[in-house]
Amino acid sequence: MDTTDVVETLDNLVADATDHHYSPYTRFDWVDELAEEQWWMTPDLLTVAGTRHARELDEKQLMRLSKWESINFFSLNIHGIRELLIEVTRRIHTRGFELPSEFFHRFLGEENGHMWFFAQFCLRYGGKIYPDKSLPVATPEEDAAVANFLVFARILIFEELVDHFNIRMGRDTTLHPLIREVNQVHHDDEWRHIIMGRKLVGLLYEPLRERGDQELRERLDVYLRRYITASVQSLYNPAVYRDAGVPEAFAFREELLRDPARAAYHETFFKRITRFLVSQDIITASPFQEAAA
Amino acid sequence: MATDVIEQVRAWLLARNPEVTGIGWDEDLIDSRLIDSLDFPHLLLLLEELAGRELELTPENVVGFRTLRGIRDTVLADATGAGAVSHE
Ligand SMILES: [Fe+2]
Ligand SMILES: [Fe+2]
Repeated sequence: MDTTDVVETLDNLVADATDHHYSPYTRFDWVDELAEEQWWMTPDLLTVAGTRHARELDEKQLMRLSKWESINFFSLNIHGIRELLIEVTRRIHTRGFELPSEFFHRFLGEENGHMWFFAQFCLRYGGKIYPDKSLPVATPEEDAAVANFLVFARILIFEELVDHFNIRMGRDTTLHPLIREVNQVHHDDEWRHIIMGRKLVGLLYEPLRERGDQELRERLDVYLRRYITASVQSLYNPAVYRDAGVPEAFAFREELLRDPARAAYHETFFKRITRFLVSQDIITASPFQEAAA
Repeated sequence: MATDVIEQVRAWLLARNPEVTGIGWDEDLIDSRLIDSLDFPHLLLLLEELAGRELELTPENVVGFRTLRGIRDTVLADATGAGAVSHE
């Protein structure tokens, strides 16, 4: 395997991480409070966008919803980071991960900082972190090469979803400067993780492709498309709707998820990563294509 | 009654697994692939809705979520009783 290209990318990313190193603990000016009545999230990123609820709820109600959806978004980040810290820590300086280990040190350091500032945001302004709804004991993947590939594919998909939100909120001038900044600072680190993630996912998939095991490739295709769908569904949280004062929160969630207008939004959130995975022949199509048709 | 509630869970699982005709009380929902880690949050939200409260999920209590009997006797034990704390 020719790794010249990967080595060069890694060197550049490590150098960039060094140049842009900062302390998360002093990076932000945490204001004493954030008023409930303001946009906490870009309205177009809310789970009601495009549905009748975006038109029927008044602005005050939508703002309240945006507050709890932003706390949910950062809570999802916290839980996602926990998983990736565990999985990357398991692999750093082990056989097969000699090349990216230097980068992993930066990655782990940065993610620890991200988890800290997301938690600060949730606890200071929401008074809580929404709990993780995933299964605490997942069924382990026994094939190590498959497990390695899936870990980095999951991390990449998750980071791409988050980055879509960060980019848009980082430049949304209607948002409070602190909210914009949290999103922008995260994006400024994440692009490195995403570049590295793509390299790793490509490298780790190669040996699986070379096995010529069609059944395995189909299983991974189906799994990753379901993973993308499950990630988008985690944005729809009944506890958020309850906190925002929406009655019948569970039914509300089901209704939103069934709303055909939402498919185009989901497609947009994952456009970049879907295009990448399809171009690499890792997945066969966007998981939202059927829904949008 | 808790029986009605557990039947809703059974019906929900069967609807997601059209090739399956029945689910035993002690069948492990995860090992038998009736539900996997990607579907699990969905099941948890349904159970919270039926329980009328948020459910805490820990490595220790997760076993109660793995069978219909566990769900009926532990997770949803007080689902329709006076002990259930309402969301509202
Ligand atoms: Fe991050
Ligand atoms: Fe990251």
